[in-house]
Amino acid sequence: MIVAEQKPIGEIRQLIAPYSKVLLLGCGTCMTVCGAGGEREVSFLRDALRVAEARSGDMRHDFLEYTVKRQCDFEFLDVVAEKIPEVDAILSLGCGVGVQAVAERFPYIPVLPGVNTSFIGLAKEWGVWDERCAACGDCRLAETAGICPITRCTKGILNGPCAGTKNGKCEANKDMDCAWVLIYKRLEALHQLDKMYRYYPPRNFRVIPRPRRIVRKVDVKVGEGNG
Amino acid sequence: MVENHRSGSGYDKKQGFYPHVVMPPCQAACPLHMEISEYVDLIAQGKVMEALQVIREGNPFPSICAYVCTHPCEDACRRAQVDKPIAIRALKRFAVEFGGDRMIQLEAETKHKDRVAIVGSGPAGLACAYYLRKLGYPVTIFEAHSEPGGMLRIGIPQYRLPREVVDTEVQRLINMGVELKTDTRVLSLDLLFDMGYRAIFLTVGAHQGLRMGIEGEDSPGVIDGATFLREVNLGLKPFPGETVAVVGGGNVAMDAARTAVRLGARKVMVLYRRTRAEMPASATEVEQALEEGVEFMFLVAPVKVKRENGLLRVTCIRMELGEPDAGGRRRPIPVKGSEFDIEVSTLITAIGQAPQLSQDFRLRIGRGSTIQVDPVTLTTNRAGVFAGGDAVTGPATVTEALASGRKAAFRIDEYLQHRYPGVDREVTSSLGELSPTTIEMIRRSERLEPPCLPPEERIKEFKVIESIYDWESAVKEARRCLRCGMGAEILFQDKCATCLTCLRVCPYRVPCLDSNGSVRIPVDQCQACGICVAQCPARALVLRKPRDGRQINEELEHVIRVASESRSRPLIVGFCCQYGLLGTGALADVWRGTRAGISIVPVLCVAKIEEGHMLQAFQMGAEGVFIAGCGKECSRENTAFWVWQRIEKVRKALSQIGLEPQRLDMFTPDSSGGSMAEALDKFAERIGALYLNSVLRQEVKA
Repeated sequence: MIVAEQKPIGEIRQLIAPYSKVLLLGCGTCMTVCGAGGEREVSFLRDALRVAEARSGDMRHDFLEYTVKRQCDFEFLDVVAEKIPEVDAILSLGCGVGVQAVAERFPYIPVLPGVNTSFIGLAKEWGVWDERCAACGDCRLAETAGICPITRCTKGILNGPCAGTKNGKCEANKDMDCAWVLIYKRLEALHQLDKMYRYYPPRNFRVIPRPRRIVRKVDVKVGEGNG
Repeated sequence: MVENHRSGSGYDKKQGFYPHVVMPPCQAACPLHMEISEYVDLIAQGKVMEALQVIREGNPFPSICAYVCTHPCEDACRRAQVDKPIAIRALKRFAVEFGGDRMIQLEAETKHKDRVAIVGSGPAGLACAYYLRKLGYPVTIFEAHSEPGGMLRIGIPQYRLPREVVDTEVQRLINMGVELKTDTRVLSLDLLFDMGYRAIFLTVGAHQGLRMGIEGEDSPGVIDGATFLREVNLGLKPFPGETVAVVGGGNVAMDAARTAVRLGARKVMVLYRRTRAEMPASATEVEQALEEGVEFMFLVAPVKVKRENGLLRVTCIRMELGEPDAGGRRRPIPVKGSEFDIEVSTLITAIGQAPQLSQDFRLRIGRGSTIQVDPVTLTTNRAGVFAGGDAVTGPATVTEALASGRKAAFRIDEYLQHRYPGVDREVTSSLGELSPTTIEMIRRSERLEPPCLPPEERIKEFKVIESIYDWESAVKEARRCLRCGMGAEILFQDKCATCLTCLRVCPYRVPCLDSNGSVRIPVDQCQACGICVAQCPARALVLRKPRDGRQINEELEHVIRVASESRSRPLIVGFCCQYGLLGTGALADVWRGTRAGISIVPVLCVAKIEEGHMLQAFQMGAEGVFIAGCGKECSRENTAFWVWQRIEKVRKALSQIGLEPQRLDMFTPDSSGGSMAEALDKFAERIGALYLNSVLRQEVKA
């Protein structure tokens, strides 16, 4: 799941300063799950902005609230279309993908980001999220016992651990587990320690020609045996 | 598609419940199906007059039930699976006494011409009269005895139900326009029809004591329980002698035994042919009889009575329990050769009662001399004659009689208006048992009993033995309610992002995933604390009784409007627990020590306060906002944890806005170190200083 954090109110206020009617657009999928931009956060943001405006005596914004099921698919955005003429700008609480989808769907209205999209991760417990995947496009988890050194090792090295590991923790942050110690322990438990003795050549960064695109659709010409 | 507004599922006055609330077992078990959880919750909030109002809506004579109800609701209470059931009857008595039931005046206007005669002024007759009068019928009650009330007056001893209570209720009926003819025994129903009554409700009770069928039963000194109680209750004070034996194990036997103790008998024995476990009498009655010195002889039955030298020689035989009978109780079998004699001055037989009906009524009589009626319409074999109460069921409880009287009133109304008879919906609770996990997570809380006179005081006279709760105990006892059937539900399944927040925040570990990966919140486990509702990031959850949460918004708006009119500055808004602080009046002590200028929003547990509520208070002009919880009194241990999560989130937003985070704080009676009043005082001082500061800054700017 994509994890994000709501931007500070001050920054959001600066973003919306030039506009008067703003649609606060939430997203009902990842942003709801990570508590950054679901319906509750949309309403929280509106309330916080209202307090800010009331305190500064500058009550010139009108806010509309709406939360769609998912911002990153155009079809879900269709219902927003009727609200567009009423507003000057959209503050999207979707992830970076959502913001761009909204911008692409509605070409003639400014779209502003309300969250900082942070990483792909999971909820460790209520209120704590950890990064787990860098979306590198070249998955090595089979070799590293299902623990990703790219994301979970500060240095992202493929042949760890480095000399900075101490008591199972990372030299960069003493509270953080050394990913390579975790990998070693898990391989040991799986009786696959031989995987530790192999050398892994550097990753081929060329597999990431940005922007990436996956095409699953096959080109089929009409009339060539398919009616 | 996700909608931002939600459709309200409000209280359905006609149906008598919130459509999403599942009927709690207490309400289903009550013969009158009273809204028990509703009034218990109101008592928990200290809203005793509102509680009485709810009680009166479901019960024509709450003051009577408050004394004598056998509370099947408590037997069904699911709190018993955790520790002990809620003391519902005692709480009702508290509401009746403190809510001012005595002051309530009832009026009714006559809307129909058809007169209805009610034969018998027992609970069923009185209830029927009450509801028929409310429906607008002219009603006459015929009572054979000199005083109205039936078993309420001549069956139930005064120490259980004071006579003033019956008098008050009867007087209220008379004020409503009910005609009452005492000392009038009805001998013929035809005569009543001739007199112009269009319908008759026959509720003559079951006053005839059953005979044991043993030798010497008619000797002087042998008396049946119903007659004995009637004589005592009508003012005779017979001395039953030094030694009294009572035969039977029901409530009448207990009443007779305890009455004999009060009349001066030194030794009172109860002879019962089964064991204590099989006794039909209510456990409290047995307990209190034991306290008052009544002796119990179990597995014993009399077989012969002989009068000798002014005493009764009762020959008894010992019994043993055999196979269960049709009713499920083990059948007692006499043990051969185990006969023994006891000597007593009086033998009271209380082995059951049956109705006594005049042949001239020409009614079809069923099992146990009871009147046969259609169970749905309560009609007898004669047109226009309805019957109910003990005369139909055989000896039963007051509450069952009230329910039967109420039902009769509605059926008679339909009969007179030529409407098709309504069928009562079967009322059952679909709530299952609490799971072991839920039970483990529920905070234990001892059941509080109202104070009772000590046994040595009780047996001196016929004074009522049970006192009323004090305010704090009543609120505390009412707070034990588990709020069955009104928990959280996913109202907007399409909004639910399956984020699992509810699973992670529930103090009782109630929400779960089904095999399809959808979240389920089993209604029979949820304790309706509202924490998941306030945390759900998709706002897909609601409490089945939505008023609890919605009230905060309404109260907040109201408080702010009032405060803005008063122009007192700085405005401080406090969200305070209605259960522990306002309900018990604990906040009063706090106020005495705190300066004025604080506006209070009462909340039904601080767990329901969302971030939005706090921000709205600031937005509406509050300079400071605080939350006051009841602390250790809370039904949960971690309520404060979740409130602090929300406070810290709002504080972060406040500081981003440029407001001092310390403008928002939380207090509980046990957390603030010193007294809560002191902590609040300091808070108010702090807010005052911040307010002054900001005013000065603005002036400098200007």
